[in-house]
Amino acid sequence: MSSNIYRDKKPVFVFLIPAFLFMAVYLYYPFFRNIINSFRQIKQLGSPGIGWNNPWYANYVEMLYDDIVWISLKNTLIMMAVTILGQVGIAVVLALMVDNIRHGRQFYKTVFFFPIVISATALGLLFNLIFLYDKGMINQILESLGKTTLTDWKAEGIALVTMMLPVMWQYVGFYFVILVTGLNNIPDELYEAARIDGASTWQKVRYISIPLLHNVICTCCVLAVTGALKVFDLPWVMFPKGMPLKTTFLTGTYMYYHTTQTKNVDYGSALAVLIVVLGIVLSKVVNRIFKEKDY
Amino acid sequence: MKKQILSLVLAGAMIASLTACGGSAPDTEGAKESAKESTAAENGTADAGTDAAASVELTVTTTFAGEDGNAQNFKNAVAAWEAETGNTVADTSATSDETFKTRVVTDFETGSEPDVLFFFNGADANSFIEAGKVVSIDEIRAAYPEYASNMNDDLIADSLVDGKKYAVPVNGYWEAMFVNKEVLDAAGVAMPGANYTMDQFKADCEKIKAAGYAPIAAALGNIPHYWWEFAIFNNQSPANHLEIPASVDDANGQAWVAGMNDIKELYDLGYFPENTLSATDDETFAMFTEGKAAFLIDGSWKVGGIVSACQSDPEDPATLDAEKLSHFDVTYVPGKGGDRKATDLVGGLSMGYYITKKAWDDPDKRTAAVSFVEYMTSDELVPVFAQHTASALKVAPVVDESQFNELQVKAMNMMAGVTSLTGAVQDLFQGDCRVPTFDGMPEIVTGKVDAADAVAEGLDLYNNQ
Repeated sequence: MSSNIYRDKKPVFVFLIPAFLFMAVYLYYPFFRNIINSFRQIKQLGSPGIGWNNPWYANYVEMLYDDIVWISLKNTLIMMAVTILGQVGIAVVLALMVDNIRHGRQFYKTVFFFPIVISATALGLLFNLIFLYDKGMINQILESLGKTTLTDWKAEGIALVTMMLPVMWQYVGFYFVILVTGLNNIPDELYEAARIDGASTWQKVRYISIPLLHNVICTCCVLAVTGALKVFDLPWVMFPKGMPLKTTFLTGTYMYYHTTQTKNVDYGSALAVLIVVLGIVLSKVVNRIFKEKDY
Repeated sequence: MKKQILSLVLAGAMIASLTACGGSAPDTEGAKESAKESTAAENGTADAGTDAAASVELTVTTTFAGEDGNAQNFKNAVAAWEAETGNTVADTSATSDETFKTRVVTDFETGSEPDVLFFFNGADANSFIEAGKVVSIDEIRAAYPEYASNMNDDLIADSLVDGKKYAVPVNGYWEAMFVNKEVLDAAGVAMPGANYTMDQFKADCEKIKAAGYAPIAAALGNIPHYWWEFAIFNNQSPANHLEIPASVDDANGQAWVAGMNDIKELYDLGYFPENTLSATDDETFAMFTEGKAAFLIDGSWKVGGIVSACQSDPEDPATLDAEKLSHFDVTYVPGKGGDRKATDLVGGLSMGYYITKKAWDDPDKRTAAVSFVEYMTSDELVPVFAQHTASALKVAPVVDESQFNELQVKAMNMMAGVTSLTGAVQDLFQGDCRVPTFDGMPEIVTGKVDAADAVAEGLDLYNNQ
């Protein structure tokens, strides 16, 4: 009797049904509905639309000729590079440094993780004040150092950097905590043996920590790339409508812009499909590049 | 077998608990509501014109929020109505912008519209009027003959959909040019008057710029609406301003193109703030109130925003710095020497209270909704909201200026000299047709897109709607 209950898998399926139904109603149905919407003419959110586009794939053709789509794709790819180098890269350095100190580890863990618990919208408002043209924190500091003119940190040439810095800063702590946990899983005996063999701190990091962190770093990179595709709230709060001159649009913000601001809901739906396709393709590519090793 | 039965029971319980989140509780409430409805239905229209008998919660959405000068008035009026009737109001008001409009229209599309809303009566309302989701004033009057009887019907706007009247107006609006006189004094510029021309305006802007100030407070990358409206108006007349061009090549179309090029000229002359393409409207407004910019074209609702900026506590009128407020004035928008005089302004009664079909079909809410709108549009409350703007009251009350602050009085004096008020053509030009010239304004002023091409693109989108 006792062994039978483990062999019989039917109850497991029964328990999976509620979760499946939930996903079907709130994820898969809207997803397929969105694909249909991308072929229709819809001017209001929630409306079924006034008919099919002519031709039905018109939005996808328009995307090819829409300069802003290409700008948003380029910006999203830059954002991915920034997340891998800026977020994961800095997190690795911080994690290794914190792992090598005796006192204050918990303090640094809390300090670096803290930005994660603040909502992205609040952070957007915060950084708006920091980068504000008139009386912003940075311009005030520069003024006190003798600069006589104000710098527009949201001007065309520098806007992308201004947008990506807070996004990068916000998630460093997230990857930092994952990496510190990974470092904690490395057996102390390895470091002890290396120390007895006369290895320096750098050699311990180079030949023990980093190789054994490989799989954790790969996981972080996959999370960072897929996360970069979803970045929306902070850039939208800081640079609504892709300001200035529509140069700061990401795929997510451009989709939102068309869906809610220009009343071109069907084009927004087509952009959402593009984001999903991009997400699937990039996840595959990233999983292949950052393949985990078996030890 | 017992295990299987137990599994099924547990799974069933999980599904039931999930369903309960959205289903069971409302069913109980629904039964109660049904009972109430049937009781009320039996009473028919016997309650017409009276306050709700039982406590009802009305969902109300208005634009009386944020920096709107009537935000506090609305809060006070709601509290007074609640105290008087025992009903409650779930207030979902928000600042009037494109996001607010989208939210309201989406709420209607998804069946989650409020019971009462204070909303635009132009093209913005077309979708929910077409869908029959709001009740006309005539239909309400059939059951409640006194509804909006204190209003002059000729001043209540007809729907663009079916010509019926739906929205009971409270306060009108005007758009004019606010002035920071402190900046004018520093630049040696006199306060503009009723015959202000664009040439004089440019000469003044040059002096202001030379004195180290931004002449015009405007965020062209965020809210170019007011300049868009007046720049076009300056190339037309009050008689034809509300005619949307059939094409870019006709006279009106060319007036629109000329208007866009006029804004570009001001941009090229450096009269907008250096960060006008990357700033938000709030930022440029702050420049104006903090004495870093001289002119601000905006609506009558901005009077409240300026007054708030002169208070140490924006919520407490007692903290008003009267000396700071005295630096602000409001005047006419310079004319270009054509058919539009400086004193021909944009304004009117563009909003009003709607009662939704959903509330109307609920006997309890019907009475409460009618009571609420009647209260908000009463002879006593309308003047409180209208202040220096127009109203549709049959008997306009005598204005007691002693109740108004200095800027409100200046606004009333300015309004006394207005020669005409014309509606905003952008209220008729709705949807994605606006994008090429509104969101595309930065591209137009920087020369990346030709004004004629942008206008043509917008008109094509409008004509294909």
